[in-house]
Amino acid sequence: MKRTLPVFVCLLLCTIVSRAQSKVFREVSSEISSQMKLITQDEALIGYLMFTQLEKVNADSFNYQVSIMDENLNDIGKLHFKDKNLELRSVSFEQDVLCLGYVKSDLADLKNTSMKKIRQAMDEGGNAVFTQLINLKGEIIHTASIRVDLKLKEELAYVKNARPSAVAGRLKHDLVVKNIPGKGFMAFYGDEEKNRLFAFDISGKELWSKNIPDAQAFAMLTTASDVYVLSKRKMEMVEGGYEVRGFAVSDGAAHDKYELKDRNGSQLKVLGFEIDPTTGKPIITGSIIDPVRGNSFYTVTALSKGPYDGVFTVALNGPRRADIKETFSYWSDGSKAPEISASGLLGDNHAYPRFSSTIRDFKGNTYFVGNSYIRKAKVGSIVASILLSPTVIFPIFIAAGGYNKGKAVDAVLLRQDSAGRLRFENAIEGQSSRFYAAKMDLSYYGFKSFYTVSNPATQSNFLIVDDFGKTIIYNVTTRRVVRTVPAREGSVSTAIFPAKQGHIMVVENNRRERYTKLSIEAL
Amino acid sequence: MHRSAPYLPFRRFVSCVLLLLCVFAGDLRAQLANPYDYPVLSHLAHQRLRDSLKKSWSVPAAFKDKETQKKFREFWEGRTEFVVNAIENKDFIEEQELHAFIDGIVSQICAANKDLIPQKPVLLIDRSASVNAYSVGGHLIAVNLGLITFARSREEIALVIAHELSHDILDHAGRSMRERAEWLTSDEYKKSLNEVLDSRYERFTRLKKVLEGYTFSRTRHNRYHEGEADSLAVVLLKKGKIAFDPACFLRLDSSDMQYQRPLAQPVKAYFTALGLPFEDSWARKATKGLSARNFNFNKGKENADSLKTHPDCKDRYTRTLPWSTVSGPLTPVPASVQAKASKIILWNLFDNQSLTACLYRLLQERDSGNNDAWYTFMMHNVFFGLFYSDNELNRFNVVKIRPKEDVAPSYFELQTMLEQMPRESLEQYYRHFGAQAFWQELPADARGLKPLYATLLQKEGTPKEREAAARTFKMAHPKSMYCEFAEHFSK
Repeated sequence: MKRTLPVFVCLLLCTIVSRAQSKVFREVSSEISSQMKLITQDEALIGYLMFTQLEKVNADSFNYQVSIMDENLNDIGKLHFKDKNLELRSVSFEQDVLCLGYVKSDLADLKNTSMKKIRQAMDEGGNAVFTQLINLKGEIIHTASIRVDLKLKEELAYVKNARPSAVAGRLKHDLVVKNIPGKGFMAFYGDEEKNRLFAFDISGKELWSKNIPDAQAFAMLTTASDVYVLSKRKMEMVEGGYEVRGFAVSDGAAHDKYELKDRNGSQLKVLGFEIDPTTGKPIITGSIIDPVRGNSFYTVTALSKGPYDGVFTVALNGPRRADIKETFSYWSDGSKAPEISASGLLGDNHAYPRFSSTIRDFKGNTYFVGNSYIRKAKVGSIVASILLSPTVIFPIFIAAGGYNKGKAVDAVLLRQDSAGRLRFENAIEGQSSRFYAAKMDLSYYGFKSFYTVSNPATQSNFLIVDDFGKTIIYNVTTRRVVRTVPAREGSVSTAIFPAKQGHIMVVENNRRERYTKLSIEAL
Repeated sequence: MHRSAPYLPFRRFVSCVLLLLCVFAGDLRAQLANPYDYPVLSHLAHQRLRDSLKKSWSVPAAFKDKETQKKFREFWEGRTEFVVNAIENKDFIEEQELHAFIDGIVSQICAANKDLIPQKPVLLIDRSASVNAYSVGGHLIAVNLGLITFARSREEIALVIAHELSHDILDHAGRSMRERAEWLTSDEYKKSLNEVLDSRYERFTRLKKVLEGYTFSRTRHNRYHEGEADSLAVVLLKKGKIAFDPACFLRLDSSDMQYQRPLAQPVKAYFTALGLPFEDSWARKATKGLSARNFNFNKGKENADSLKTHPDCKDRYTRTLPWSTVSGPLTPVPASVQAKASKIILWNLFDNQSLTACLYRLLQERDSGNNDAWYTFMMHNVFFGLFYSDNELNRFNVVKIRPKEDVAPSYFELQTMLEQMPRESLEQYYRHFGAQAFWQELPADARGLKPLYATLLQKEGTPKEREAAARTFKMAHPKSMYCEFAEHFSK
């Protein structure tokens, strides 16, 4: 009785109207573009945001829609506004205020503008970093723009017809907005002129700002009292060159600069820059680069020679250099790492690791996670070379292919405890690659990808291994594989991503029945 | 009297035997019956109706203009397809007791209004839990089970049915289709769409306005239709000698509030009373997230209100108050009818994987004192469903998380519990229910689900093994209502 004309009428209407007026819908929808962003607070995912550019309203402005969803993908609300050409880069949340960070451009129509005019427009300026604060009623409570000098996107020539409204330029270092617990937000970006770090409260009032010297790449981490900027500069050891700058959130007072080196002056390769769940302070984790062999890490042969001397964890406990606690663990230190050879060979699975990720657990341990590779002699090639040695030419051909072969095997975990003791934690059985010549680039072997999920409620950490043909979920705390999910079963393909704290997002796509199912599952 | 005295012991003996027989027979009757059998579901029960609809609902020639007639045909055929698909999807049920009860009301109204209703319409009982009934035109009306469980009186259901019959008499569905066909093929509509294409700016807004303009116009029409149907319903009821109580409209205002009605006890109490362990942390939101914040985006809601097809229930009450014919107590809906409807809804929610809603209704039934073995069996089913879905990485979808603003705090608490409780506890709950004595009271087919569930929960089980177990169940119990569940795996 409440809905006398039943649902089918609406469905029918949508179907038929859309079929009949498909041309109009097609043309209108081709102008609509959307970006999905994660909403984070204190480095945790708390929701999702869909930013949609709906249409052009005049020569240089567009209508936009922001849809906010909670951590379970339930709609919370939508808001609409009009502005110049915007590209959403970062979203954060603090004290019931959402902060959206955009790159804004005066140039709206790339489709009907020549490259010459685009370049000219880029030179003339009219680009900005734009921040927008939105409250829980869906009201825009503050906006601010800072003029920036953007670099023309290289791919523009290829996409100008497909994306008529894309912002033509990009920042040299992307805009990142993070919340400062209890205070407001911190933003960082770098353009062609400078790299700027600035703090503002939840009303949008700027608290302070700093210019940061240029570098190859940056990362930012905030705590309630401090903000840290990790930068990587170009240097002789290609994976090294890291340094950290810290500032007090209250007034921007600079901490002692910290250059990442071990006691012997060896450069450090950073794998993790995160908040330690036990102390709430930032930690930096990674590998210690061998000063001699450290630049040679692209092949199994190079790995077998030991490009890394060990692993490290650095805790940034305070503003002074003396507050920083460094924990270095070396392969060569036999008392600490009996299962690991001086060149980094893991005793348990006779493989060379190449760590790519780290996990800090709730007990102060750091886990280093990565792919591992085995190296074997090519017996056939050696024998053939000996037998064919009288011919001279054939052994030369064989030698060109190398006398060793390599294979990617299981994912491995190494644990470093708070005292720096190392333990080979586990090998997570996965799909091995085929054998390739050991001199071949590691990219030929394919990589397992790693994601981490932590659950503060149960104080447990999980590692998600995106392997060839399956995803493995490993409980770091109990040292057990909890699930193995095949990537494809019949017409159903499944992908797994981290979601809200302690959860994963399972995306199931059924090609035959043409549906995609999302599920947010607890671990 | 005296002479008969010596026979007294014998009479007592006979009485005792009869009493024992009664008790024995009562014991036999204590074996609970299922709410319905599988063949009463619409894909089997309404096969003839499905086939006849395709023939009898032939498109009338309503327009001379070919394009408009073509569009009208599309709508007309779409309606047929909708009903046929709903029949095939088992949306309707031909359960005898329920059907007889609702049909009795329809017959009473039709018999008294032969001038307006020369042909009694086809009645379908929709298994939906929403408090609703609908008319699709073509002399076919459907009554949802949700309405039967919600109604307090026969007269309340009669009002809703009379309202739907009025839509049918006034051919509102047909008129609506004709109007839509006319509008979508009109020059005005085409012109407004062309203007969208011709415009350089604000194309999306212009298109939205065209569609919204149409939607608002349709909504206005619908509201007018509803008013018309209300007035005629009062006439139909009066002639049918069924009391009309305008207060029913006020009750309809709260019809969507099933899950906003709190439980009588804290969630924990229901499970601990069943001897199950319960940790308070399960029902407390552990993760950070925007769902815990108090958002208040009003604009969307205002818009939704303006799009409602029905007039405000208070307005309907005020408008129809002078026509009230209530003179005494209203006729209650038979308890057995409501219990059956409720059980069918519960099973349907379970089978459709809406497990929080199903469990919440089960706890509400407990609050009402309905806790026979079948309800406990359904609690077992819910925990089986959760445990099974968790194994399949699908718990989130069967919990069907609703925002806290839409449900009662106790529903949110239950939902949080089902979302967060460890899988070991889910298994414990499932096994606990599986070991209870209530199974003895259940019919053989309900007990037969146990081995099927066990096969489905085998971690190393293959799809073929599942399929075989489901087929075995169907072969053993071909008429069981639970075949519907087995079908998910046997196909």
